[in-house]
Amino acid sequence: MSAADELRVVLAGASSGVDAGRLARRHGCGSLLRAGPGTLQRMGALPALIDGLRLAREADVAAYRRDLLERGIGCAAVSEPGYPERLRVLHDPPLALFWSGARPDALDTPAPVAAIVGARKASDAGLLLAQRLAGAVADSGGVVVSGLALGIDAAAHRGALAAGGVTVAVLGCGVDVVYPRSNRAVFEQIRESGLLVSEYPPGTRPATWRFPARNRLIAALADATVVVEARARSGALITADHALDLGRDVLAVPGTPGIAWAAGTNGLLKAGAGLIENADDLCGWLGLDRPAEPPPLPPGDERLLLEALREAPALPDELVARLQLPPARAAAGLTRLELAGRIAKDVQGRWRTG
Amino acid sequence: MIATATSFWITGIDARRIDVEAHVESGTAPAFAVVGLADRAVQEARQRVRSGIKSASYRFPPERVTVNLAPARERKQGSGFDLAIALAILAASGQVESAAVGRVGAAAELGLDGRLRPTQGTIAIAEAAGRQGLEGLLVAPENAVEASLAEAVPVFPAYDLYEAVQILAGQADPTPVPAARPEPPPAGPDLRDVCGQAAARRALEIAAAGHHNLLMVGPPGSGKTMLARRLPGIMPSPSLPELLEITRIQSVAGTLNGHGRACARPFRAPHHSASQAALVGGSSLRPGEVTMAHRGVLFLDELPEFNRAALEALRLPMQDGEVLIARAAGSVRLPARSLVVAAMNPCPCGHHGDPKRECICTEQRLAGYRARISGPLADRFDLRVAVPRSDAHGAPGESSEAVATRVQAAHELLATSLAGLDPAAERLLAGACDRLLLSMRARRRMHSVAATVAALDGRAAVGEDDVAEALAYRVELR
Repeated sequence: MSAADELRVVLAGASSGVDAGRLARRHGCGSLLRAGPGTLQRMGALPALIDGLRLAREADVAAYRRDLLERGIGCAAVSEPGYPERLRVLHDPPLALFWSGARPDALDTPAPVAAIVGARKASDAGLLLAQRLAGAVADSGGVVVSGLALGIDAAAHRGALAAGGVTVAVLGCGVDVVYPRSNRAVFEQIRESGLLVSEYPPGTRPATWRFPARNRLIAALADATVVVEARARSGALITADHALDLGRDVLAVPGTPGIAWAAGTNGLLKAGAGLIENADDLCGWLGLDRPAEPPPLPPGDERLLLEALREAPALPDELVARLQLPPARAAAGLTRLELAGRIAKDVQGRWRTG
Repeated sequence: MIATATSFWITGIDARRIDVEAHVESGTAPAFAVVGLADRAVQEARQRVRSGIKSASYRFPPERVTVNLAPARERKQGSGFDLAIALAILAASGQVESAAVGRVGAAAELGLDGRLRPTQGTIAIAEAAGRQGLEGLLVAPENAVEASLAEAVPVFPAYDLYEAVQILAGQADPTPVPAARPEPPPAGPDLRDVCGQAAARRALEIAAAGHHNLLMVGPPGSGKTMLARRLPGIMPSPSLPELLEITRIQSVAGTLNGHGRACARPFRAPHHSASQAALVGGSSLRPGEVTMAHRGVLFLDELPEFNRAALEALRLPMQDGEVLIARAAGSVRLPARSLVVAAMNPCPCGHHGDPKRECICTEQRLAGYRARISGPLADRFDLRVAVPRSDAHGAPGESSEAVATRVQAAHELLATSLAGLDPAAERLLAGACDRLLLSMRARRRMHSVAATVAALDGRAAVGEDDVAEALAYRVELR
């Protein structure tokens, strides 16, 4: 198998909008490119792919690679040494991988890697937790992998970036395509200090079938996969399934029974997934060292507030009623705790500890 | 023969002089024309004036009567010129002395029976009459108190056209104008009715004391409207000049109550279908809601549902306290120092972030909903608080009266100067700006909110705790 042939088949697949990987694994890239239209049809290739392969046969792969390099995009075919070892364990590894960003070394890093995935439509509590988990992993030297979708995925990337750590985003489109568009800022930041990865050539537009497919890469790149919030049939559960197939740890954050966005994660827990309640749990699974001593309790009002919030998240009004504090003092104390990074609030104004 | 009377028309909240000239051509066929860019209501004045003159037992000249409203280039509206037109015609036909008509202004509508009816904006008209050096102003009795508030010109209330002519001729003494009765402000809704919501109540108090625009974010039914309606009741009591400003605006808009004088701060709550012109003013240079709420509260419920352009147009008045409206017909500067209080749901369905109910909004709808409030607009709300659904925590709170006392004291303290920050407070604010990525505008805003917090506590110096509390009132919208 030659790397050039593999890239040609990838390009043919991308230009025809069809997944060529299955055929390539069965018949080999060389035979796909050499076979005539009749043979390809008997192999089960769709007409679009047959056309694509015919065109790709003539493609100047060396020039294509030079062009990518100029645009700051790296690529490696599965038979090449630069291909990430972590992906080779997949039974259907991508024929080629494309990446863009400052940290290509993150793909085969010796550091622990955590995939943090979950619902696109998540609760504020879920977003906050995803951010904190990612921050803790990145802060203690681990790498955070996710899918750059809205919701939990983006929160995880943001958390890792905010902690000054490394994060890898596995895309379902080309590494030069921003999708969803509202994630542009995160996309740019990841390119600057992390890595954007895709099995699809640059320029590939997002398509619905490509997103579940990229989930296997997320699972393969990570040592453990954490699902933060997921409905009963969430894409995040596909990632968890892949992780299970690969023998990696599957972890989940529990949610209140009966709430839609907890159904998926609670299902994972029932099936035996590891339970993640906070950043320390996750760092424990990954074998990352965290400062063991919790920071000392602050004095005065803040201590009371923090202790109350450790029991349960609460609205300022509830704290005022429970602690018998004047609203002004409660507000001041909460701000101090927030500035110290001990607590955070959601859009409804509910405070919780991290 | 030609005679001239003086009247006024309203543009924005100011009155401008109009010379009403009447020409009666003897020996011509009867006709009656009004010229000088007069609108429909002015054209209809012809019928009212004709009937009014006859009912007051004067003679309508049976010749060609031409009335000109000068300056002729300005487009005039309204019915306040009726009396001046009638007086000019009577003078031109020799039924009243021309010189007497020229010395006073006239602002009233005529009834078919010759009665004088009230018109709008008499305070502004009285001021203009004073500036023009007129010797008096004839108005309907209903407008007398209002006109005399300007204290610019002697006010002559007249019951009908006949009495008006008698006053001009010196044959009747004008009725003395009764003094404006300072009414006690009507009892508005009381804060005592609000259960729980301690944080929101506190924000309301700060907003009232320091004139900070307030944005409340919370699910439907959490009490946002209820809180907003109680804001005028706890604001510092308006000073006499402020009351005059309020009265003057209400006088122009014709919403003044029967006493001839406003006695409380206005509360305006335009529906979210309001157009840009309705909100900031502009249709025919008339004041909009932001001016109608001058010195009071402008409440915008369902903020994201408002027309986007209308909201953005609010940014300048929110900052400058006035609004400059330019139209082809001219431009006017209107006061607009209103306390803007807005309310919105956290998302279109209202349940985003609720731990007990699922939000059914798609990400796109949610993003679209929040994007309607632009960053610069959100930046102009000094206080942004979450108003969660209250599970009726806490007993009924303090009464409006108790809160108003504190607010009044703080307001007086703040009026002296904006206090500086002590070093610890400065450090806290600087640290917060770095950590929370606050803009310079936000920083200034936090400083002034902190000063209000300190003033509510009776202190002029701003301490660390004040800054910490000020920083608590900023729910992020995205």
